[in-house]
Amino acid sequence: MEKQEVSNKKTDVFHTSLFVLVLILLAAGLVLSVMAAITFGNADISLKDVYSVVGCEVLKMKRFSEFSEGSVHDVVWLIRFPRVVLALAVGMGLSVCGVVMQAIVKNPLADPYILGVSSGASLGATFAIMLGVGSFLGGNFVGIMAFVGAMITSFLVMAIANMGGRANAGKLILAGTAVSSVCSAFSSFIIFIVNDNNATAEVMRWTMGSLSGADWARAAVILPVVLVCTLIFWTQYRSLNLMLLGDEVSITLGTNLHKNRTVYLILSSVIVGAAVYAAGMIGFVGLVIPHVIRILFGTDHKRLIPLSALLGSIFLIWADVASRILLKNAEMPIGILVSLIGAPCFIYLLVKRSYGFGGGRS
Amino acid sequence: MNISSEDIRLSYDTAEILKGVSLQAGNKEFVGLIGPNGSGKSTLLKCMYRVLSPGGGCVYLDGAPLNSLSYKESARRMAVVAQHNYYNFDFSVREVVLMGRSPHKRAMERDNARDYAIVEEALEKVGMSAFADRNFSTLSGGEQQRVILARALAQQTPCLILDEPTNHLDITHQLQLLRIVKTLDTTVIAAIHDLNIAAMFCDRIYVLERGKIAGQGAPGDVLTREMIQKIYHVDSEIVKDSRGRTHILFI
Repeated sequence: MEKQEVSNKKTDVFHTSLFVLVLILLAAGLVLSVMAAITFGNADISLKDVYSVVGCEVLKMKRFSEFSEGSVHDVVWLIRFPRVVLALAVGMGLSVCGVVMQAIVKNPLADPYILGVSSGASLGATFAIMLGVGSFLGGNFVGIMAFVGAMITSFLVMAIANMGGRANAGKLILAGTAVSSVCSAFSSFIIFIVNDNNATAEVMRWTMGSLSGADWARAAVILPVVLVCTLIFWTQYRSLNLMLLGDEVSITLGTNLHKNRTVYLILSSVIVGAAVYAAGMIGFVGLVIPHVIRILFGTDHKRLIPLSALLGSIFLIWADVASRILLKNAEMPIGILVSLIGAPCFIYLLVKRSYGFGGGRS
Repeated sequence: MNISSEDIRLSYDTAEILKGVSLQAGNKEFVGLIGPNGSGKSTLLKCMYRVLSPGGGCVYLDGAPLNSLSYKESARRMAVVAQHNYYNFDFSVREVVLMGRSPHKRAMERDNARDYAIVEEALEKVGMSAFADRNFSTLSGGEQQRVILARALAQQTPCLILDEPTNHLDITHQLQLLRIVKTLDTTVIAAIHDLNIAAMFCDRIYVLERGKIAGQGAPGDVLTREMIQKIYHVDSEIVKDSRGRTHILFI
């Protein structure tokens, strides 16, 4: 028996050190991805120049001071870099939101896009762009409206799914789809009525998802928001784990999750609002990334949250790079690209029986 | 630890499920709760472990009204093994049992070596040490219930509530689970379907019928032909075996 205990302890230590190792590797991978991603783009800029600009701006090295202005500086520092940072933030946010929403609805098929929260955010933003609703809220009012839209839809979807008995995955996804359709229809309606070409192009960019509007002003708001929310969720790993066991079991384990659920929904709406504000609608990231991490490292949120956050950022940085270089002289909306990868994964998860669609084997 | 309920009442709409139920379990007593389907056993236990809040009456843990305790405090005094435990997600056995430590944890506190030691000990008590790294959802029903019992043990509570934990289990695993519980040094309140099993393990039995206590006492005193006829509407014969234990034969 003692041997057993020793070996158990060993596997524990092994698991923990493996987790730390992977965490460090992913963090390193993220830094490398950022550094690599800024070298891709339409403008032909040599590696040396790119990194000279980085050396000048990030490390404040005197040696590169000649790169502190000019077109090379502008392309690298004012266009590419904030864009990569934004991709990082959005990828992290969407993955973490996916994890949290999956815990809230106790089903691995949840995702901000599938539950209609992204559409809600998009509708809020459409209101702001096309009709100027909420402009009194200041410079980032489009983002705030996106958050408001996201929050209203997440509570609405939860409420609809809970009508007439407990929510199950089927009801949630139907409710999400329905609310999402309503929001899209409303957005289209507003675009149709207002008929302003510039604004229409802007809204189009949003519904397809793109990071091309990135600038430092936006990145400076969104990255901290996503980072803070992610850290908060990481500290909540115990409650998130309990959430998967259900309300009754969590009460017997000393936690009433009712309040947590509301707070988590609000926080994840903040993230989705920020992500949609930054990049429009990008689906399935929150579905695919947590799923991959779960296969490799299990369901414990202590590991799931940070690993998903890192992998999600790396994934979206490279998806954005791909969307920039796949088509010659044009940019493919990243939302389309990600959906092309994500939607089949969703179908696969839906079909795979072991995932207990709607309560499953019980 | 003593646990008692006083005059618990609960209604859904117009249907009165519990009509003033009072029971009590003394320190380290194994108390059984029997009664036909729909008599309110589970509802009563759910009131006791706080998943339902009764419309009237109160539950006391060592004299302290349950409502005056936080959920964390009550989870440090009373652990629950219930019937349904299916998860959509894959937790390892160790992770499931480790969650039993959460009532002892403050918001940001990490799991430490002591928690892991308690988990190993709990797994060993239920004979599941070898399964610690297995996926919970790949286990059989009996194994899963033993893991859930281990989780309850990891809570280190002086009281254990069993809400028909042996449903769906075959006789081997029913006996196995209850034998493990019987070796623990805790107060136990258990809803049990099988009268013979109740007779085997309980120090005292309460009979619940349509939301009311219809009788209570030692198994030999409660499980009589008349009582079984009245409550379950079946004929039976009561036999004492050579060790003086009660057995019920249904006719």
